[in-house]
Amino acid sequence: MDERDKIKGQNELQVTVLNTNLCTGCGACIDLCPYFKSYKGRTAILFPCTLKQGRCFAYCPKVEVDLDELSQKFFGRLYDGNPLGSYQTIMISRAGKKIARSDFQAGGTVSAIVYFAIKRGYIDGAVLTDRDGLLPVPRFITKPEDVFTCASSKYTAAPTLSALNQGIKDGFKRIGIIATPCQALATALMRSNPLEEVNFVDPTGLVIGLFCTWALDFRSFEEFISTRVDIKKITKIDIPPPPTDTMEIYMGNGEKMKIPLDEIRQLIPEGCSYCIDMTAEFSDISVGVLEGHPDMNTLLIRTERGRKIVDEARKDGYLIVSDIPKENLEHLKWAAANKKRRGLAKAKQEKIVNTLKGDKASYLRLNTETLEKITQMTGRSS
Amino acid sequence: MTNLANIHEDAESLLMGNEAIARGALEAGVNVATSYPGTPASEIIENLAHVARERNLYVEWSANEKVALEVAAAASFSQLRSLCAMKQVGVNVAADFLLHLGLSGTRGGMVLVTCDDPGALSSSNEGPSRHFARMFEIPLLEPGDFQEAKDITKWAFELSEEIKTVVMVRSVTRVSHASGNVRLGKLPEDERHAEFKYDGLGLNADEGPAESVPVGEKHRLQQDKLILATKLFEESPFNTYQGPEKPELLIITASAGNLYTREAISVLRVEDRVGLLKLGTTWPLPPLLLKRYLSTTDKIMFVEEVLPFLEENVKILAAENAREIGVKTFYGKNERTMPKTGELNPDIVISALCKILKTDYIAMDPEYEKKFQMPFSAEVPDRARTFCPGCPHRASFWSIHNALQMDNRKGFVCGDIGCYSMGRFSSGFNTTKTLHAMGSGAGLASGFGKLAQFGMDQPVLAVCGDSTFFHAVMPALVNAVHHKSNITLVVLDNSGTAMTGFQPHPGLSVNAMGDEVPEVDISKVCDAIGAKVEIRDPFDLGETQKTLNRMLEDKQGVKVLILQQACALSPEKKHTKKYEMSVDEELCIGEDCGCNRLCTRIFQCPGLVWDNDKKKARIDEALCVGCGVCSLICPAGAIKRKEVA
Repeated sequence: MDERDKIKGQNELQVTVLNTNLCTGCGACIDLCPYFKSYKGRTAILFPCTLKQGRCFAYCPKVEVDLDELSQKFFGRLYDGNPLGSYQTIMISRAGKKIARSDFQAGGTVSAIVYFAIKRGYIDGAVLTDRDGLLPVPRFITKPEDVFTCASSKYTAAPTLSALNQGIKDGFKRIGIIATPCQALATALMRSNPLEEVNFVDPTGLVIGLFCTWALDFRSFEEFISTRVDIKKITKIDIPPPPTDTMEIYMGNGEKMKIPLDEIRQLIPEGCSYCIDMTAEFSDISVGVLEGHPDMNTLLIRTERGRKIVDEARKDGYLIVSDIPKENLEHLKWAAANKKRRGLAKAKQEKIVNTLKGDKASYLRLNTETLEKITQMTGRSS
Repeated sequence: MTNLANIHEDAESLLMGNEAIARGALEAGVNVATSYPGTPASEIIENLAHVARERNLYVEWSANEKVALEVAAAASFSQLRSLCAMKQVGVNVAADFLLHLGLSGTRGGMVLVTCDDPGALSSSNEGPSRHFARMFEIPLLEPGDFQEAKDITKWAFELSEEIKTVVMVRSVTRVSHASGNVRLGKLPEDERHAEFKYDGLGLNADEGPAESVPVGEKHRLQQDKLILATKLFEESPFNTYQGPEKPELLIITASAGNLYTREAISVLRVEDRVGLLKLGTTWPLPPLLLKRYLSTTDKIMFVEEVLPFLEENVKILAAENAREIGVKTFYGKNERTMPKTGELNPDIVISALCKILKTDYIAMDPEYEKKFQMPFSAEVPDRARTFCPGCPHRASFWSIHNALQMDNRKGFVCGDIGCYSMGRFSSGFNTTKTLHAMGSGAGLASGFGKLAQFGMDQPVLAVCGDSTFFHAVMPALVNAVHHKSNITLVVLDNSGTAMTGFQPHPGLSVNAMGDEVPEVDISKVCDAIGAKVEIRDPFDLGETQKTLNRMLEDKQGVKVLILQQACALSPEKKHTKKYEMSVDEELCIGEDCGCNRLCTRIFQCPGLVWDNDKKKARIDEALCVGCGVCSLICPAGAIKRKEVA
């Protein structure tokens, strides 16, 4: 069948994504099989696989991503290039009275929703990112309180989806995932049953996307930080919302080190520069910071099942929401539009958008109207 | 094993070439025998060790061939008869001492037996050994069949004692490892007493110090010995001729060439046209004998393996005597009549003879040959060399390979000599990237590990076996530690010199003769040299890989990881089974995405079989030894292991 033909196997994935530095280490290909492993943030192939088609290629968010197809499946329409993606409502939020203040970073919205969703059985387990020293590690939790062990923000890329793959193997049926945009995109690909497996059932119960402008390569970051600070002393890392332009490293004894983001940006993996999604458009709900308000979150509700859980959480006192101030919304759209335009420009430059049949594999596929629209995008509200 | 001392004299026995050599040494009254294991020489010392107690011999597997030669020389200096055996490359290792031994001379008869491997059937080269005899100016004898293997070895001791120098006896695989009828001789009863006399004057061969100096005098004396040997060689019964008085073609051959040529002459039925001069004394060449036979015809052919040693020596002699014997047409390697690489066989000799004699011979009807080849291309599966079921090296290379892939900085492993040389191939997951001589892995790694200042950021590893460690790796390790080379050495300790037949080495508590001896502890040696040492069980894949990844990230100095697990064929492991293995077919993913036959396609243990009808993996109960490692790699947990009570 024509559509399935575009899906290839490990060999092509290596050539088109790993060898071209497109990989952002989302973990979608990890733990599906014994051949892909992640170590300290880098994706490695252990042995060659001879299959012509595989899930690794099908789920990878950096190859053969048909945005129209996905948009049709999850939102009922073609991809329209809206800077914030498709959504029902946007608001601001923070954890409600039922969640203790000390347990989370920023507004605590994600922790609160996950806690609530597990407690109420909307999800039977959750895929999060924990930390082992400086290294972020994927984690699968089944107890609501465990969400707080993973509550701090991580700024280096982690192969979190490997825990999703493991959770599916372990038989969980309504999995919650806290995902970066590329991870949410890979999850959406997986949910679309690209290899047309018979009797396929969507194993996810809730996809919570996180805003992301970029992530850092772990190995480069570790090397960079270790020249400035004793890694063992680090207790917390934070990049406060704009207008601050620093990364803050907290050491145990109350010490705090500030590093200008300009120095940090050199550690961004190349794959991030191709990304067109700042707000995790293919999730049920998306959560990010709220500029100027370090104790609040921005919250987008995209799907019906997302809306339902947020409503119930709010009603039960786990979440407090209110309207988003106009300046915040405008600025968010502006930032998202810029990322979209830049990412697409880079992909077009590398000739990996809408490639022709018989040519090399495409990274993105989308309708020409939207492609033009994004190319012209300036972020001014339309 | 045959007890070579138990067969009585005059009996005719079917003996392997190496057994014949050992028997020859026994008939010569050998007292001390040393060696380092190497195919095709290993059986010589094994057979002598077997009768060591009853014949009052001292038999030793030395740490390497140089030490082995030195130990044998000590016996000779003490007026005992000694034998040192090794494969061709061992002579390279012993060469420095051999050079000086040629100068110092010997006392009790001393024989150096070298067993070469033309065609590299079990070596990483097919280098020469005969040239050392010429280069270091010592006599060289080559048995041309199994009777001569015994008789020449026996006579070599007498020759050595008469002219007071070490004598090289050179064999090849097809003499050492093939068998033939041998009529035995008498075993002597006399006892020798060991005493090293050194108080005599410097140049006193029997009672002065044993030394290669003063070089001028000693060298002249050495060359006089060869002149004496040459005179003896003129009358030697080991130089034989068969054929017409005036042959159309004279073939000069030695060693296994003798066997191939005799068969070729017989097949072509050219006994009346071709003369066969088989030399048993190939250095120095007896000039009178050779002039005699070279004069009988214009056409001279040489049959010998690999390099044209015999050929060029005869050609020099022929050139020097051309006025007397006439100008000859030669058919040798330099004329491209015979190949310069690889083993010979009767077919190659037949083919060359046909061209020279202008006769036809069809070995096989071409139609039949085509028919004969077909099943091979169609039916017979491609079977690569592989590690045994239960081999710890498979597990070790699994972890090393995967640790390097995950480390993702294009790290590499320098290989070395042993069963684990197969780390180069799919059986070892193509992990090793260099292969040269014993200990060269560590030596190369020591060099690679110093190149950071030129921008090299690839992690460097070396592997070596436990026996290889004592043989040659230690100086390289000292070098690496002292010069702060950033490397990881993985010692694959399977408790023996496995590739050559599981002989003991200094790391074990039993010696060649079965006596209890102190073990030299590899981890303590590495520690004392100053490396950071850790010991793991290679069958614990997770721990081993974690340790390796940590060592690869440590950029300071030399790390040593000793992976300890006995060889599957070792006496302690053989015939034991730790686990009962089975495959749950419900869980087996097989060819599909998620596995793609990891166990049978990549891991490739012979105990795992792919059932092409069921499309599932299964255990071959005859081959599986129950090591349990495959159950750790199955992504579906379909391979089960149950501990045997």
